[in-house]
Amino acid sequence: MVGIALEIPPDVTFVILTTITLLAAILALQAKELIYGAVALAISFIGIAGFFVFLDAPYLAMLQIAVYVGAVVVLILFTIMLVRREEVEPAERPEGGEGAVGLWIAGLLAVSIAGVAALAGPNLPQSIQPADLPISQLGPVLAGDYPVPLIILALLLSAALLGALVLAKVDR
Amino acid sequence: MPTLVSFIIVSAALLGIGIYGLSVKRNAIRILFAVELIVNAANLNFVAFTRYMNPPQVSGQVIVFYSIAAAAMEAAVGLALILVAFRLNSSIDVRKLNKLKG
Repeated sequence: MVGIALEIPPDVTFVILTTITLLAAILALQAKELIYGAVALAISFIGIAGFFVFLDAPYLAMLQIAVYVGAVVVLILFTIMLVRREEVEPAERPEGGEGAVGLWIAGLLAVSIAGVAALAGPNLPQSIQPADLPISQLGPVLAGDYPVPLIILALLLSAALLGALVLAKVDR
Repeated sequence: MPTLVSFIIVSAALLGIGIYGLSVKRNAIRILFAVELIVNAANLNFVAFTRYMNPPQVSGQVIVFYSIAAAAMEAAVGLALILVAFRLNSSIDVRKLNKLKG
């Protein structure tokens, strides 16, 4: 935990990251304009990348920013521009009962998971071990221990790319 | 340094926000937002658990590597599907996409 938290204590960093991530996530779903929602989603992804840095996974943080903020959010922004004809989202506000039910389901789920985690807290590892996870350690595990998933991933990526192209193609 | 439980609680909160969006929102793009948030909650859990292992492991990070790539594919295909749905229906309100109902 050197670098980012040299001067700020880790707990403060954690609280700031949590606030940014969760607030941006809520804003992504609740913002009136879809474009603002996409930008808030990008901020939430950057917060998650901050958590990855915090947990000594800098490579994943870079990948998160490159793939999510750089690719996924930009793709979403382009799609919003293409779909923008309906300026006002139709009936975006759900019926009162429906929204309340969704809130109850989500809240119950989150609280039960958090409760179980808190109950199991004493059995979970309390202290963090000093990190010795250089990025160079990731490559051998990736290509040495899991070569087949890597190849399948490459095939899946090309298949998904072709599929998206075929789906979005305009027939003239 | 915060404990593992605090990371699980953050992840659970993110999952709850995602589930809420998934069940309440009507705009297909917003539903995609919610799915991405849920995937990110899972990724955060993987990285936190693998970091708190004794000794710290790297295999959880590898799983998250695959997960990020899979989520990117899912977003690309999902957005293409949304485009097709918009072209066919001139709306991306998921409540109106009921042609398969017969």
